Amino acid sequence: MNLITGFQFLLAAGDAEGGHHEASPMAQFYGLMVLIAIVALVTFLFLGSAKKGLNTKFFSKTTTKLLEQLYVFIEGLAIGIIGPHGKKYIPMMMTFWLVIFVSNLVALLIHASPTSDIAFNLGMALIAVGYVQYEGMRSNGVVGHFSHFAGPKLPIAMAVFITPMIFLIEIVSETMKNVSLSLRLYGNIFGGGEAVVAMNKLGYNGDTFLLPVGDFLFPIKLLTCVVQALIFCLLFAVYLSLVTHHHEEGHDHESHGEAAPAH
Amino acid sequence: MLEQAPLALGLAAFGCAIGLGLIGFGAMNGMARQPEAIGKLQTAMLIALAFVELVFLLTVFVGLGSLKA
Repeated sequence: MNLITGFQFLLAAGDAEGGHHEASPMAQFYGLMVLIAIVALVTFLFLGSAKKGLNTKFFSKTTTKLLEQLYVFIEGLAIGIIGPHGKKYIPMMMTFWLVIFVSNLVALLIHASPTSDIAFNLGMALIAVGYVQYEGMRSNGVVGHFSHFAGPKLPIAMAVFITPMIFLIEIVSETMKNVSLSLRLYGNIFGGGEAVVAMNKLGYNGDTFLLPVGDFLFPIKLLTCVVQALIFCLLFAVYLSLVTHHHEEGHDHESHGEAAPAH
Repeated sequence: MLEQAPLALGLAAFGCAIGLGLIGFGAMNGMARQPEAIGKLQTAMLIALAFVELVFLLTVFVGLGSLKA
């Protein structure tokens, strides 16, 4: 416990009002921001130098191959779900994967992380769903995208009653995508941390920690980190495939839409 | 209200575990029958797992809210 608060204190070294026994929430916040900045810096350095072709000269094969494996994995996900035109969504999915995975890894060590904050997750979900809407409008046109919400073409007599209802339901489900994306991530990461704290009390003897029982959940939390990052990207790809798979009527070999769930 | 919230969480976990088990059961059966379709099955399985888990997480938020209130 001392080690953890000490680590948070170390992270918050730039804060002026240090000196309390425990780092204040604001100090923890700044500490996490610094941590995120460092991680983003390192990631961008890696990616930037890989783009320049320096990886064969300066980086060992292992690092390069690790990142290439990640790229191949995301590429397989994008092409398998969205279809052949899914290649252009790889950077977005890669960004989401890296941000979520690295943020989840923070939650393994300290009982705080960007993804265990509902605001961060909601912001990411808003970006994801907003991007999906933008792509839908770009590939189907604004009218086409919104008429996609209105369901199938019906005879006029039925359309008057049914189409507004379908439109309303589709708008609600579109809005609930934000809630589902953000709450799933938040619940898994925050709940994992809460479970560790609750189980740590089992080994608490009143004044000393005999055994940090909760920290033995580490492997499960590691699994959760990977799976939650994967699921966010997966659902993002599924939402993209739902809005963009109408517009390619030119070449309809059945290479898309088989991995995507039923519409 | 305070005493019943943990029981409610336990019941929610009970149902969620059954649902997740069914999904895993189906996916394992499919994978054993058709090992070449493992990639697609895993994708579909993870999506289904996510949707089942979300219901449980919603219950957790309601339960925690009533615990703290």
